[in-house]
Amino acid sequence: MTDEAQDVIGDYRYGFHDPENSTIRFDKGLSEQVVRDISELKNEPQWMTDIRVKAYRHFVERVMPDWGNCSLLDQIDFESIIYFLRSSTKTEKSWDEVPDDIKNTFDRLGIPDAEQKWLGGVTAQYESEAVYHSIREDLEEQGVIFLDMDSGLKQYPELIKKYFGTVIPHSDNKFSALNTAVWSGGSFLYIPKGVSVEMPVQAYFRINAKNMGQFERTLIIADEGSSVHYVEGCTAPTYSTDSLHSAVVELIAMEGAKIRYSTVQNWSSNVYNLVTKRAVAHKNATIEWVDGNIGSKLTMKYPSVLLKGEGAHAEVISVAYAGEGQHQDTGAKVHHLASNTTSNILSKSISKKGGRSSYRGLLQVSPKSTGCRSKIVCDALIFDGSSRSDTYPTMEIGNSTADLEHEASVSKVSSDQLFYLMSRGFTEDAAMGLIVNGFFEPFTRELPMEYAVELNKLLELEMEGSIG
Amino acid sequence: MIYQQMAIPPRSEHLWRYTPWPRIHPSVTDEVPIADDVIFSLEGGAALEKIQQPEDSFDEIARAFLQAAGGSYNRLVIHEEPEPIHINARASGHVAVGHLDLEVKGSAVVFIHISGEPEWVGLHITGKIHPNAQLSFGFINELDSNTKFLRCEDWMIERDSELEHATLSVGGFRCKSDLRSTLNGTGASIRQSVTVNAVGARHEDEHVEIHHLHGHTNSDLVMNSACAGSSHFIGTGLLTIAEGANKSDASQVFRNLLLSEKARAEAIPELEVHADDVSAAHGAASAPVDKEQMHYLMSRGLTPEESQAMIVNGFLLNAFSNLTNKHLIEEMRTRLTVHLECELKR
Repeated sequence: MTDEAQDVIGDYRYGFHDPENSTIRFDKGLSEQVVRDISELKNEPQWMTDIRVKAYRHFVERVMPDWGNCSLLDQIDFESIIYFLRSSTKTEKSWDEVPDDIKNTFDRLGIPDAEQKWLGGVTAQYESEAVYHSIREDLEEQGVIFLDMDSGLKQYPELIKKYFGTVIPHSDNKFSALNTAVWSGGSFLYIPKGVSVEMPVQAYFRINAKNMGQFERTLIIADEGSSVHYVEGCTAPTYSTDSLHSAVVELIAMEGAKIRYSTVQNWSSNVYNLVTKRAVAHKNATIEWVDGNIGSKLTMKYPSVLLKGEGAHAEVISVAYAGEGQHQDTGAKVHHLASNTTSNILSKSISKKGGRSSYRGLLQVSPKSTGCRSKIVCDALIFDGSSRSDTYPTMEIGNSTADLEHEASVSKVSSDQLFYLMSRGFTEDAAMGLIVNGFFEPFTRELPMEYAVELNKLLELEMEGSIG
Repeated sequence: MIYQQMAIPPRSEHLWRYTPWPRIHPSVTDEVPIADDVIFSLEGGAALEKIQQPEDSFDEIARAFLQAAGGSYNRLVIHEEPEPIHINARASGHVAVGHLDLEVKGSAVVFIHISGEPEWVGLHITGKIHPNAQLSFGFINELDSNTKFLRCEDWMIERDSELEHATLSVGGFRCKSDLRSTLNGTGASIRQSVTVNAVGARHEDEHVEIHHLHGHTNSDLVMNSACAGSSHFIGTGLLTIAEGANKSDASQVFRNLLLSEKARAEAIPELEVHADDVSAAHGAASAPVDKEQMHYLMSRGLTPEESQAMIVNGFLLNAFSNLTNKHLIEEMRTRLTVHLECELKR
């Protein structure tokens, strides 16, 4: 690696990139023809092509959001992005058959190792499409469907047609319209009635090419009484030009089902991460979003839950780390649309070296929803005077029986805590590391062990040299 | 900027999300009606000093509109005043607008009571608290229940000065307030409370901004609302701490008590912190009347209505708990209790 490249990459250990060996690569820029070409290339049914085209037209008409970090959003040049890039001709079921250069990437990211040890299934997406996919045989025998989204559409078109875009319609926002128009890859996961998937299933998303746009689409349906834990990880190389990641994730939890969706987002600092994630929870269902945002230039992501059935529950735990040049605009939205629904939101953020973290949340209780309860807690740490932390919570209460609480605080690391640890022999850096790990502990304890260890390592790396 | 050249603010700005500008404007948004004067007088009948319309320019639409509408312009300069000053603001006619500029150079307690029955009232209060001065300020809205009311306030709080600011809003049909304070010097502080009793179909939108521009500044905001009938209360707060304003201490608490099925309340307490060595916190809570409290009071012989009124009274009085000036606390408490007793007798 050249010194110049190292300067750009800095401490980001996933900033390496491999030579681009694409089999199909579209020119930069977006048009209706590009959208039709993607659909044709994938040999999709006509109804999907129609949805894509409709979404593209909406994307063109829709103005950019006039809230959030508009100055960064306005820098996105949609004409300089590659909207489709295929690196492998098919999705392999064995790591041995994955092209060597791609396999090397995932080896370095530790994916095959993790799969053997503690995963129920894996999808590895490289650029626009999945290159590797596997699921444990016993899960398959129980009727669990875990496919990349393209294969899902081919094998289960009726199921996809029934649920695609029902939670997040293309007209929801500009970026959901863009995703619907050009989506490629992502996961399709269906858990049959009463099946409990004990081991987590994982999807790993990797952008390798320059100016790449990754638009994966994920749909998870947990049928009555089932449960699943889905884990998502993402990295990209560091380039001097920007990449765009704009995913749409739809979760549907039927009566009594439980879905936990964990993300550790570690995009490089040249990636715009503009993601729409939303879940529907039916009667007595539970949705848990466990969301970690460490990387990216600008993240705008507000995992949402529509509590549609009586007794449904939502849990959102999110942490954000905003370092130099980063803006983590994250939060959570919960809509209590049925009676006796409950929700908990815990958000923690750190801003350092001029970074900006924002919590943007919405809690809504509809007029007919009685007996709803919710608690929101936001804590922020600021490490220096050039950093910034914002909190923009919104509570809309339309029913008098709702019991809601929100609390937030912004502070620096307590000198008492530092003093206490240093008086017991820790260096200032080590003491600070311990405090930060403790600050994020409510998040890390919800992650599978391997992810928690990895996250702690990442944070240590990010926190290096925080003192003085 | 001139009002007629301004664009209507989008609803994505939270200030205008729940009460868009066309809903609070007296007619259609491109019109500036001819306004009657809001008459300001000191208790006892003495008039305030009248001044010429200043040539101020505002970027914010509500202030620009009030400037364009004209109305009365008055000023009161206070050096040191041990006794509370009561200012009556009387509005009449179809549309009435008033502007009041307060300058405080010592220690003072000022109350403004606004009343009247016009269809629309606009009020713009500006204030400057000079270094080392203290002002305890109470605002009581007792306008007619059919009146639309727009109120803007801008306070500049200088070094080592202090503003205690209390609002009791029990009048008007649709009310929009935009109260902004700037802590413009080291040691400046503000303690602010907003108390709203919303009944019937009242719509009340209270926006409070507090800007900490310097270090060692303190702010404390408490906003309590009780919403009955089909009323709708919106409380939005924006607390900013500027870069370098270290050792600032800021807190906001929003509490809503919902008393009926159709009542609605929104709370948006926002924080923007650009400095690291600060203490900033906010909280919001919304809940129905505690059944155990109701049971306790009713078991002692009170009717359900009396029990609820007592709980509401206690809840709203709590909003004044962060105030320290005894004149201010006493006046606000008395006004609130009288208002609630009248409500109960209706």
